[in-house]
Formats: sequence, C-alpha cells, structure tokens
Amino acid sequence: MRKYPLLIIGGGLSGLAAGIRFARFGQKVLILEKHSKAGGLNSYYYRKGRLLETGLHAITNYAPPEDKHAPLNRLLRQLKIPRRTVKLRQQKTSEILFPGRANLCFSNDFSMLQLQIAKRFPGSVKQFAQMLTEIDAYDAFAPRPKVSARTFVATFLQDRLLLEMIFCPLMFYGGSDEDDMDLSQFIILFRAIFQEGFFRPEGTIKDLLGLLLQQYKNFGGEIEFSSGVKEILTENNRISGIRTDAGEVISCDDLISTAGFPETKRLFSVPEAAAAFSELPEDKTSGRLSFLESIYLFNKSARNHLPEDRTIIFYNLSEKFSYRRPDDAVDLNSGVICFPDNFERNRQGDTIQMRVTHLANYEKWLHAYQDADTSRYPAMKTDWTERSRKVLGKIIGNCSENIVYEDSFTPVTIERFTSRTQGAVYGSSEKIKDGRTYFANLYIAGTDQGYLGIVGALLSGVTMVNQHIFNKM
Amino acid sequence: MTIDEIKKVLLEIIQDIDDEADLENLNPADALRDQLDLDSMDFLDIVMELRKRYQIQIPEADYPQLATLDSCVNYLIPRLKAA
Repeated sequence: MRKYPLLIIGGGLSGLAAGIRFARFGQKVLILEKHSKAGGLNSYYYRKGRLLETGLHAITNYAPPEDKHAPLNRLLRQLKIPRRTVKLRQQKTSEILFPGRANLCFSNDFSMLQLQIAKRFPGSVKQFAQMLTEIDAYDAFAPRPKVSARTFVATFLQDRLLLEMIFCPLMFYGGSDEDDMDLSQFIILFRAIFQEGFFRPEGTIKDLLGLLLQQYKNFGGEIEFSSGVKEILTENNRISGIRTDAGEVISCDDLISTAGFPETKRLFSVPEAAAAFSELPEDKTSGRLSFLESIYLFNKSARNHLPEDRTIIFYNLSEKFSYRRPDDAVDLNSGVICFPDNFERNRQGDTIQMRVTHLANYEKWLHAYQDADTSRYPAMKTDWTERSRKVLGKIIGNCSENIVYEDSFTPVTIERFTSRTQGAVYGSSEKIKDGRTYFANLYIAGTDQGYLGIVGALLSGVTMVNQHIFNKM
Repeated sequence: MTIDEIKKVLLEIIQDIDDEADLENLNPADALRDQLDLDSMDFLDIVMELRKRYQIQIPEADYPQLATLDSCVNYLIPRLKAA
C-alpha cells in the first residue's frame, strides 16, 4: 500500500499551492486530480484548435514588485517563484454601470474610484472615507463569527445606489451568499478588487498552471490526473487514507481536501464519519450561486464598436441590484462583461474576445439537462444566449454579425467539470476559515476555506500547510 | 559548525527566500524583520529550511529567539555543533 505524509484532493490552484509548499521542504506529497487537467475552477479547454479559459476573467490583488507585504508578492515568495520572472499585465479601466442612474470607473489606481465617487456622489465622500478607515484597520483573516457586510456598509453609506454599486463587482467576483456577504469576505474582496486591482499573467491560465506544475514537480511533488477519490477512510477518529475511483487504497498522515466542504462530506461513506464531519445537511452548505457564461470571439471589424479602454464592465439594469439565484434560468438584469484583451501590452490578434457572465438557476438547467428530450438543454442554451446578446447590444452595441465563434457553459457544465455541487463557483456560504475539521488530520483548503479568487486560492493552500501541517512535524 | 559558518548559512537561506534582500547593510544586532521587510510567513521558511538541511526541530515557542542574526546564531550554536 502506498503511503504519503500528505495527500491532497484536487489539483486546482489551492491544491497545487499546498503541494508546492509541502514538497519545497523535501516532503513526499501526492495530489489526486479527478479531471485530466489541472486547474479545477480555473482551467481551460480546446474548441476548434483554440484554447479557451474556463473561469479566468482577471486576477485580483495586483501589486507592484516593491510592495513586499502585498498578498501577491508574499504568495510568490512562498511558492519560490521570483516576482520578476512573472510578467503581469494590468487592467485598463473597469466600470460599474447602472445605466440611466450612474456609473463609476476604477483602475489599479484606487484614487480613480475615489474621484469618481466624489464626482457622482459628492454627499457620500466623507462617509466613504470613514468606511475606508475601518476597512484598513480590519483583520479580515482572523476567524470570527459571520457579520453582515451590508449592515456594515449601510452604517457608512446612506446612498443606497452607491452601496449597491460598490457591492456589485465584489459579489460577482466572489459572493457565495445571496444579497449579502460576510464582512471579512467583503473586506478581502474590497482590497483585492478596488484597492489592489486586476491583472492577467502573460499568456493564458494554462501557462500559469504550467508554471505551478513545473515548480511542484521540481520539488519532487507527485500528481495523478484522472484519478478521483471515491472515499475518505477513517480509523479511530482520524483519517487513515483514501480509496481512489480505481479502488486503490492510499494511506496518509494528513489529508487536505480542496474539493469543497459539502463535496468533502460526500466522500465519507460511513454515515457516522460523515455526521462527525458535519451535521449540517447538504442543502445548508451548498452554494446557491452559479452562472451562465458565454465566450465570444469577434473578427477585427468589431473593434469599431467595442470599447477598447474597458477591461471589465459590471452592469445592473434593475431598480434594485439582486445577487441571488434567479427564478428564471438566467438573470439578464445584471452581469459581467469582460474583455480579456483589454489589459496593458495587449497583442493585437486576429480576434477579439469577450466573456459575459450572468447569474443562473442551477435547478432549471439541471432539469433541462436531465430531460428525456435531449434537444431541450441545447435549445435552452441557444435561447438564453440569444436573449443575453440582445441585452448586451443595448449596453455595448450590437456586434452579433462580427461573431466568429461562441460557446456557453451553464451551472450544469460547471458541476460536471469541477465537481462543485450545483455549479457553485464561489462555494459554500459557510466558510471554514481556520481550515480545521472534526478530524484532526483533515483540512479544508480552497474556495470553502474562504480566501477568494486565484491569489486567494493559492494563499489558502499555502496557509493551510504553514499553519497546520508544518507545525505538527 | 563555527559561528561564521552558521552566519553564512543563515544569510544564504535569507537570500534564497528573498533574492532582493539587502544583506550588505544588515545589522546583526537588530531585528531581521524590520531590516528585511519580511513577514512571519518568510520567517517560517528559515525554520523549515534549517529543518530540511540539518534536521533540527525549532518549536514555535523558540521563534522569538530568532529575532536578530546574532540571536539566531546563538540559538543555533549548540544545536549545530555536530553539523
């Protein structure tokens, strides 16, 4: 029987980071990844010879190399990746657009947002500054009970429109709760998105994953693809190992699961062990928020219509911004429009990419997918994508005739490829902030541990190994 | 190991953690943390690297004794005697 000091379930960003950390100091570690590729929620696929990314719009937490304490730079040091060797492209300008009411632009220079607020919401300037002072002093990483971020923000910002505009990008890029979020999560996202900002690495997510995989292997880490975990095995209230889908039992001293909290619970086949892990039923821990995402490639003539200086547009058309599972299959009243080419030093390719994200209802998509009539699901996809394009036409102008390629994925697609229940990309609304579980040698890392985005996922893997595993050795 | 050898190893480890660290102007009696602009995660790396190279266990309670280069050396002398 194979035995490892550390086993990691999941070869996404948090699993790879945890693996690099552990392997770096000469320890044997094995990552088991169910899919044939690394990346988890941030992976890629090929269609018609083109590489398309699954999740990545932009990476948050931009920091210049000299800011050594910034999360991004701390993270790279921990992974032993020299900051100067990674080429980063910063965003141009992003926009929060509530048509007919207000818009706010922001960039990686936080003063742009402050100036925009001063211009459009002059009565809120002082309140916004007071809120910033509180945010700057807040330790968002200390484990503490959940507090409503909406209540916190409302104590400062009396203007409800401004409040909703501030929440809109933060929710779309990390909100796992409906219409509110935990204050710590809000502050992590506020810093990551507004105060630090967006960037993309040179190349695609595949290059970033390749860099991480290479680093992991250089340190002697092992990874097995298409190797799902069937079951977590317990013995005397400890994790003794796992059984793979292929039936192999592998034992371990410690186990890190990046599969997600409800997803990890499903891996206990002994009911007593599952109950000990968590007494909460799955519908209490599964995230309810998922998305319909469409990827468009336009020909060059679309350049005349499309904004060249906008990186990401977060829009909302309705009277009240709603961030919850919609009653319909898709909520077209709000969304994210991302132009991955509109980062600095963009090479002018033969196509222009646009990605569009809307809130979507997992159950509606699942019913269509499971329908005996197999034409229903693709027809529903086509129908909603067309409706989405009409709404987009009003916001960025009609580019339908310039489309050379398009593809969409639904909450069901996300669930199938990432194993996240209900396609909940931001995971459970219950976060396990310290990563600990009932079992003293099982830890949760990744989305359900509560750090957000790509930098957050990587930091989550690093932190769990630093705090829990190194200390025990 | 001699005092000078231990010092050399420590500087080498720090350089490895942060290749831009300014070791030339390091005052051995002052806190490393203030001079190098590093944080607790980086200091864990010094501990882990020493463990990897010399199999010495440094309990968390002893971390305060690693505050300056001099105090690190003093702490390590008896532990690296045979190394």
